[in-house]
Amino acid sequence: MNRGLSRGLAIGGVVLLAILLLVALAAPLLAPYDPDERSGRPFARPSAEHLLGTNDVGHDLLSELIHGGRVSLLVGVVAALVATLIGAAVGVAAGYARGWVDTVLMRAVDVVLSLPTLPLTIVIGVFAGPGLGTQILVIATVMWAGVARELRAQVLSLRERDHIQALRAMGASPVHVVSHHLLPAVTPLVVPQFVLATKTAILLEASLAFLGLGDITAKSWGTMLSLAHSRSAFLTDAWLWWVLPPGLAIALTVLAFALLGFAFEERARPSLRVRSRPARSGPAPRRVARGDGPALVIENLAVTYTGDAAAVADVALTVSAGELVGLVGESGSGKSTVAAAAAGLLPLAGEITAGAVLVEGRDIATLPADELRRMRGNRIALIPQEAMSALNPVHPVAEQLAEAVLVHRRVGKQAARRRAAELLTLVGIDPGRGRDYPHQFSGGMRQRVVIAMALANDPAVVIADEPTTGLDVLVQEEVLALLDTLRRTIGIALLVVTHDLPVIETVADRIVVMKDGRVVEAGPAAQVLTAPEHPYTRLLLGSALRLQVPEPAP
Amino acid sequence: MSPVLAVEGLTVSFRGKIPAVSDVDLTVGGGEIVGLIGGSGAGKSTVARAVAGLVRPDHGSIRIAGSELLGARRAEVRRLRRMLHLVFRDPYASLPPTARVADIVAEPLAIHRVGNRGERADRAAEAVEAVGLPTALLRSFSHQLSGGERQRVAFARALVTRPRLILADEPTQMLDASLRRDMVDLIDELANDRRIAILHVTHDLGLAQHSCARLVVMCRGHVVESGPTAELLAAPRHGYTAALIAAAQHRPSKGLS
Repeated sequence: MNRGLSRGLAIGGVVLLAILLLVALAAPLLAPYDPDERSGRPFARPSAEHLLGTNDVGHDLLSELIHGGRVSLLVGVVAALVATLIGAAVGVAAGYARGWVDTVLMRAVDVVLSLPTLPLTIVIGVFAGPGLGTQILVIATVMWAGVARELRAQVLSLRERDHIQALRAMGASPVHVVSHHLLPAVTPLVVPQFVLATKTAILLEASLAFLGLGDITAKSWGTMLSLAHSRSAFLTDAWLWWVLPPGLAIALTVLAFALLGFAFEERARPSLRVRSRPARSGPAPRRVARGDGPALVIENLAVTYTGDAAAVADVALTVSAGELVGLVGESGSGKSTVAAAAAGLLPLAGEITAGAVLVEGRDIATLPADELRRMRGNRIALIPQEAMSALNPVHPVAEQLAEAVLVHRRVGKQAARRRAAELLTLVGIDPGRGRDYPHQFSGGMRQRVVIAMALANDPAVVIADEPTTGLDVLVQEEVLALLDTLRRTIGIALLVVTHDLPVIETVADRIVVMKDGRVVEAGPAAQVLTAPEHPYTRLLLGSALRLQVPEPAP
Repeated sequence: MSPVLAVEGLTVSFRGKIPAVSDVDLTVGGGEIVGLIGGSGAGKSTVARAVAGLVRPDHGSIRIAGSELLGARRAEVRRLRRMLHLVFRDPYASLPPTARVADIVAEPLAIHRVGNRGERADRAAEAVEAVGLPTALLRSFSHQLSGGERQRVAFARALVTRPRLILADEPTQMLDASLRRDMVDLIDELANDRRIAILHVTHDLGLAQHSCARLVVMCRGHVVESGPTAELLAAPRHGYTAALIAAAQHRPSKGLS
């Protein structure tokens, strides 16, 4: 939803609710008569004395309406509170304890959720007899289960987080973990649940009261409707002043709570928000014919994220065909921003404010979106960090490779499949394994598949973003050796981004070191490694704890 | 005197599948740093998590300062748990996201009901100083800290109960290279000056060589080799160890395919 609109709706909800609450609280002051007092003749039409007329026994309807809000809101809020508290307790207990506690509680939740709400409330209501207590009990009984289910899911995922695990490792009791950490963490989710539950509870209360299960001595809007119905007000003009006002009151209250609840929910889950894309400003596209120049040229590149200082400034580097350049930097150095800019994949908030990224002579910083899309995966390819999340778990890998080919090439399915088999062979996987799914491959093999996918359309430039992070140490070496071989055999320009200098020192031709958004040192690998000029490069080299063992005899 | 940590025949399996850890033996003495080495899936973290009580072993024995932890009564388990602390790999995930450093560091004391509020605050300040952070940081929130500062806070939280054993599960893995050496130096200091027994879980042999007295190498849930660091690195007996050594030097390995 648009932010301005959703903010306006939230404010509308708050104002509406505030008015309703004020009226309910100040009912004795606002109401012209005591609602239980015979203040006029029965069935009076609206007049100056009785703005909404009177009912069958001469009670003032306006006074009933004003006082009725108290009962409706009270029952709604209390019932929702009880339901939310029970639901929260059950959900947290089930999610945290797991095992048989979870099984028993959640089966109970399933049963409650699968029963039809209205018939159930009627049955329990008739059984327990009319009255406010009964209404609250009945409403809470049917509503706690939804809250419980929602919170259990949250707690299940929270309890596996490291900081909760850390508490358990410190010997914290479940009571401590739940009261000090889980409850505060789920509260932002409980609040919208409560508000939306109130909305439902008020509707249920009206239904119950209409069916005659309300407390006749404490009339709510539902009770008013029920009486109006039994005195045939629905069939005469009287519906205008007897039926419409309480109906409208119920609708407005429900609307107010709904608006407020959705606003809370949106705040608790930012993913429900949709951001708007900032307009891209920049110089006109420029094309430089440089057929024999380096495949990737980055010229005094500057990238700024919305509202912040430049994340990257004055970065220049080149990668020629068949060359492997290592881009090294620690967290916050801007290396990933450079990689994203080079791949044409800057996040929405990022903008190239100066410089150029030339892939085969074309400046991708200024290309229109559709041309950029044609370049990505075709002339420039990215090897992402996490191999598992880069592959679709429900399709065989050969199919995914074929799809990557078909995105950019108009070839038949057969040709795409042949190409997939070729690609698998290229990265050292038996093409027969193409029928297997990603989970059937080891971490290293999956990374090989991801590399194959990047190569699907013979790109000129490949950018590998931390291609070995998270992989087993032995597999890291394999993956690097493969990348090294590939750039030699098929002549791609390869930019490897890493935070770990030792990882690339044996394979890189040239090394570019970044710190705080700027290049501090760049040069041939041998020179950077043996005679670093910048103190930061020396720090990086000096702080590496290298294994020193004599070379084993051949 | 019995070692601070003695693990014998430890076997852990998840949901009745192949054991993640089988028949692991290891000991760590006071002031000693033992490196638990292996690649991903070797089961090394599971050993640390079993000692910390996060996973339940199938069988085996875990003795803390000579007292058996597995199958002990609740009060005894609490007493023994107070003597050890697990430091996690990811300092961004292991600290509560919206809490002040002072409360994070004092939390173990609150859990074990040690001292009153004032005493806890004093001990938290002491622990924060001991890991080389300024006490001004006590008032900061965890999200305001850098990765290196966060990991130091995690170590301060470990120290605050004055434990005899710290299990460090790849504590330098998520840190920038320039910070790793400082973190290793901090671990060395804790072992040397405070005589804390440290089980350092890592796949980084360079780091292990720098600070561990003994190494235990795990592969697919089994201990394949263990011994003093220098001897083990100079003459590995198992092919897996040899492959790890080759990888750490960025040499092609001949041992494993």
